Amino acid sequence: MVSLTIEGRPVTVPDGMSILEAAKTAGVLVPHYCYHPGLPVAGVCRMCLVEVEKMPKLAPACATSVMEGQVVHVHSPKALEARKGVLEFLLINHPLDCPICDQAGECELQDYTFAEGRADSRYREPKRFNPVEDFGGDVLYVQNRCILCTRCVRFMSDVADEPVLNVSERGDRAFIGKAEGHDLTNPWAGNVIDLCPVGALLSKDFLNKARAWELDRAPTVCTGCSQGCNAVVETRDNVPVRLKPRPNDAVNQYYMCEVGRQSYREFARRDRADQPLVRINGTLTEVDWEDAVTAAVGALSGKRVVVLASPNLSNEALFLLERLVAQLNGQGVFRVARGETVPLPGVADLALREERAANAAGARLLGFAEVTTVGSALRHDDALLVVGDALDGVTPSELAALSSLVFVGTTIPTAVAERAVAVLPITNTVEEEGTFTNLRGRVQRFLQGRTAPGVARPSWFVLTDLLAATGGAAEFHLPADVFAAMVSTHQAFAGLDYESLGMHGLPVLASETATAGAAI
Amino acid sequence: MSHGPSASGGALVAAPPHGHHHDEPHEPVFVGEARTQLDTILSRYPTKQAALLPALWMLQDARGWVSDKGIEEIAALLAITPAYIKGVVSFYTMYHQHPVGRHFIQVCTTTPCNVCGAEDVVKSFLEHTGCGDLGLTSADGRFTVIEVECLGACGFATPVMINNDFIESVTPESVPRILAELK
Ligand code: SF4
Ligand code: SF4
Ligand code: FES
Ligand code: FES
Repeated sequence: MVSLTIEGRPVTVPDGMSILEAAKTAGVLVPHYCYHPGLPVAGVCRMCLVEVEKMPKLAPACATSVMEGQVVHVHSPKALEARKGVLEFLLINHPLDCPICDQAGECELQDYTFAEGRADSRYREPKRFNPVEDFGGDVLYVQNRCILCTRCVRFMSDVADEPVLNVSERGDRAFIGKAEGHDLTNPWAGNVIDLCPVGALLSKDFLNKARAWELDRAPTVCTGCSQGCNAVVETRDNVPVRLKPRPNDAVNQYYMCEVGRQSYREFARRDRADQPLVRINGTLTEVDWEDAVTAAVGALSGKRVVVLASPNLSNEALFLLERLVAQLNGQGVFRVARGETVPLPGVADLALREERAANAAGARLLGFAEVTTVGSALRHDDALLVVGDALDGVTPSELAALSSLVFVGTTIPTAVAERAVAVLPITNTVEEEGTFTNLRGRVQRFLQGRTAPGVARPSWFVLTDLLAATGGAAEFHLPADVFAAMVSTHQAFAGLDYESLGMHGLPVLASETATAGAAI
Repeated sequence: MSHGPSASGGALVAAPPHGHHHDEPHEPVFVGEARTQLDTILSRYPTKQAALLPALWMLQDARGWVSDKGIEEIAALLAITPAYIKGVVSFYTMYHQHPVGRHFIQVCTTTPCNVCGAEDVVKSFLEHTGCGDLGLTSADGRFTVIEVECLGACGFATPVMINNDFIESVTPESVPRILAELK
């Protein structure tokens, strides 16, 4: 360990740490562009210059290791003057077109120029102009705004292991280039957009959808696959418009794949079930919640009930469903969509996983059996309770033998519109809170990011009602209550506490169990 | 897209005229003799990547310039991505990113030579070759003229390199004679 002083604050940090990282531990932000904790140090932008006593020259904080007894001044006049100069150089050609730049409001160039830059420019020459380039995939390159920090280049070569970006030309003509026909279509390439500190790399999908300050944000967990990447869901006027990675060293570092990013669309669907419905004289008719629950229970009682649960339901919902299965003497099954496994080579144990659902591990831990076809789980005269599963690919003949069908979900599939006795509308992941268990057995919380449509209710809430109506003991007022009950009855979750999960999650004791059967 | 000369400073190598494409079919360069030569070069380095500069040089020697197709060929041989190679090619002014004239004329215009009248030498070359402007190729395909940074012969202003030949103390007046001696 090394002890030093940064801005008058004593800190003790591990040997070999950079001054920039050490300053973070003291709560001091050293301005920086090229440095990113997830990338190799390049030391090219010179925005992190700080004054170190007894050193003849200013030092780049990102590329200088701490030394015993060092005294570092981040905001001394000399350091400030140097950084002001760096900013002035960066702005020689950079157009301050913040009013139309998609990065405005979350731009580090804007922030530092505001904090430390000159009030005016001494340059009167016209700025360099270069056209915008489509980099392929979701990425647009606005060369004029690029400050050549090379974060994007380093990500593609060192983390994604597919060096399709380069620094082309040199000196004042340099720009980020790619070879003809080699696009940013790597399934992880979208991360360069987040990594770019300025508005030089933009998401085509998000372009002009919102200004950063109009967005509301909530921490969530991506439902794209069983990795469980930590994410932030951003909404504008209650409409999800973007999903961004939320750093978590134990799961996804700073990254998120393209499939995950695009999954926000599912949350923004407008064809939502938003009223409880009951079939009356052959037509699904709007009723109040009480009548719908009564009708649902009526349709299920006295039969063998198969519960088809979505592996994107929270642990809480699955736990209540498990109880319902026991109560109804039924069977709990789930299906999970599968796809190709796509690792991010530079990060250990991070991949777009084969299982394209957030909580298959949770479903297994809570006693649900995986089936490949819905029909295989059904016997003649069964009642089917579908929760969350959209019945994609299920044929009418598979459902032919059913005696009744009850649907709890977010959008109404055709088969349900034709056959269901009752439809109970629930909220989706970003409209409720709860926890998921990822493939490594890590239990992670997600919070509510927007209000639900109509009178749709959180899944755990609806399932609590169903459980109570079938005679099961159910007294839950919060997801935390359900979680506590789950922990107390399931050895696998023993020792966990809803609050102490924090927003980074904790591993379950029996994580081996969770891993069993999961695609690695 | 093309990245033309910037407004903020003179380009050392100008871009070809807009809309100019070079998608002629590519005959592999590294076959037979050339392949053996590349293998010898490769054997000198611990990594394949280290052989990139000489490989590009061979390519340019054979084809006169470094095309995208040529880059793809080297990329496959050295197991590095075309984008990476493109970055290298564009960094060094010695590699041509588009076809140049049979006689590639580089005139030093860095300060010492400039003081001694290098600008006029450049003008004289442009005029007598019919190239019109820096980086463009004369209509007969014979000449391309560019400015270069210090050629390391400041005492013999103005030095000029024509392909691999070095000519010292060039004056605007000596240009026609120099050109006449070229085939
Ligand atoms: S990159 Fe930043 S400073 Fe530049 S125009 Fe965009 S918001 Fe403004
Ligand atoms: S595009 Fe962005 S990340 Fe890439 S070098 Fe330019 S400023 Fe940096
Ligand atoms: S952050 Fe240190 S030089 Fe760029
Ligand atoms: S300045 Fe012309 S050769 Fe050095």
